[in-house]
Amino acid sequence: MYMSRIPFSPITINWTLTFRCNFNCRHCYSRPEKAPELPTGQVKEIMAKVAKYKVPFINYGGGEPLLRSDLFDLTGYATGLGFNVSMNTNGFLMTEEKAALARESGFRTVGISIDSTKAELHDDFRNTKGSHKKAVSAAKFLKEQGVRLTISSVICRVNHMEFEELVRQARDLGAEQISLHNYKCAGMGFTNKDELDLTPEEWKEFYLKAIALREKVTDIRISMDDPITATIHKAPEQAIVKGSTCGKLSLNIRANGDVTPCGFIPVVIGNLLKDDLKDLWDNSNILEKMRNKKPKEKCLTCKHYEDCLGGCTARAYATTGDFNSPDPHCWVAK
Amino acid sequence: MRNIRRNPDIIWREEEEARAEVVRAMERGDDASGEGTVLLVESGMMHQLNLLGGEIWKLLDGIDEERLVDTLAMTFDVDRDILARDIRDFLADLDRRGWLVHE
Repeated sequence: MYMSRIPFSPITINWTLTFRCNFNCRHCYSRPEKAPELPTGQVKEIMAKVAKYKVPFINYGGGEPLLRSDLFDLTGYATGLGFNVSMNTNGFLMTEEKAALARESGFRTVGISIDSTKAELHDDFRNTKGSHKKAVSAAKFLKEQGVRLTISSVICRVNHMEFEELVRQARDLGAEQISLHNYKCAGMGFTNKDELDLTPEEWKEFYLKAIALREKVTDIRISMDDPITATIHKAPEQAIVKGSTCGKLSLNIRANGDVTPCGFIPVVIGNLLKDDLKDLWDNSNILEKMRNKKPKEKCLTCKHYEDCLGGCTARAYATTGDFNSPDPHCWVAK
Repeated sequence: MRNIRRNPDIIWREEEEARAEVVRAMERGDDASGEGTVLLVESGMMHQLNLLGGEIWKLLDGIDEERLVDTLAMTFDVDRDILARDIRDFLADLDRRGWLVHE
């Protein structure tokens, strides 16, 4: 059942605590971004403001969260406010001690990025030798501490044919979930899209196979959060909004407190050091446009539009500067 | 009779604005039974409960079924037997999904 109205505040805040990173990945959406990093006190100040609106989930993205020396202090504070905290990390800096701190500070889940089962391919994609080995070690340290583990893989040209092996690897590492993220044409992802992105037909082929696998597999969850899949299968029972979830269920906070609809849409709608989250959520013109997209071009006559709402708004915006443009990954013919 | 609790692994939130709107709709005599008032997140998947489901869910913090019916009978102006049956069916559904803990 779909919600007839937007939730009264976001369900998830994706939070870039830092844009610093020890890696230089070829697909990274945030690498070109620069913003001053807020000190511990101001991050906590914003956390307290967000908690007032009962946002249940915070997910740290990045930049590499483990580069923040106050990461576990912030997480302990956030869990004390009632947040369920998770993060996505490349795992390179994870140690047994940090895994223990992750448990003690209350992380609900930790996601490790692994993009191939072949170490040399992952290392090349991530531009860091030894990164696959470190990611696997990080997963083991977290499991030993009893921290719930998820694996994230960005699907692109280097791995789209081996996603079944990626699922097997995640299962072997003890992950509860593997997220097969769709490639985003943002940041370095935009610069390198001709080399790394798939064609619309390849995306269709990938999703048909991945959805078939998801329906068979019972010992690990396979997540593919891409609105474009609404064109090839019925929305699952748990989908409560149509189209992109950004700005409808989630928002993004950058390292300086700026708020954007999602990490892949670099349009600032406010800053939580001075603005009120609920005011932005209810009154932002940008969010209003994202929530009420208007079909254009091939979407005007497409029978799937009412289900996919034009697909991923971030991809449309990155390639055309218009939220309403058709998703460039869309395989449905004109 | 055993007490029933929500499975603590399930993260949930009452949608206060949606609930107020549903209550207003019901007062006008409109059917709002399909409108969600409580959101649940379980294993990364989102679900929503309508007004009756949401009111039951909020009370599941160590309560037996009879007391649950008594409590809700004070709020919902329906035949007690029908209410009791609806609550039993709803709890059975939650149980099948693994969303309850029985003490």
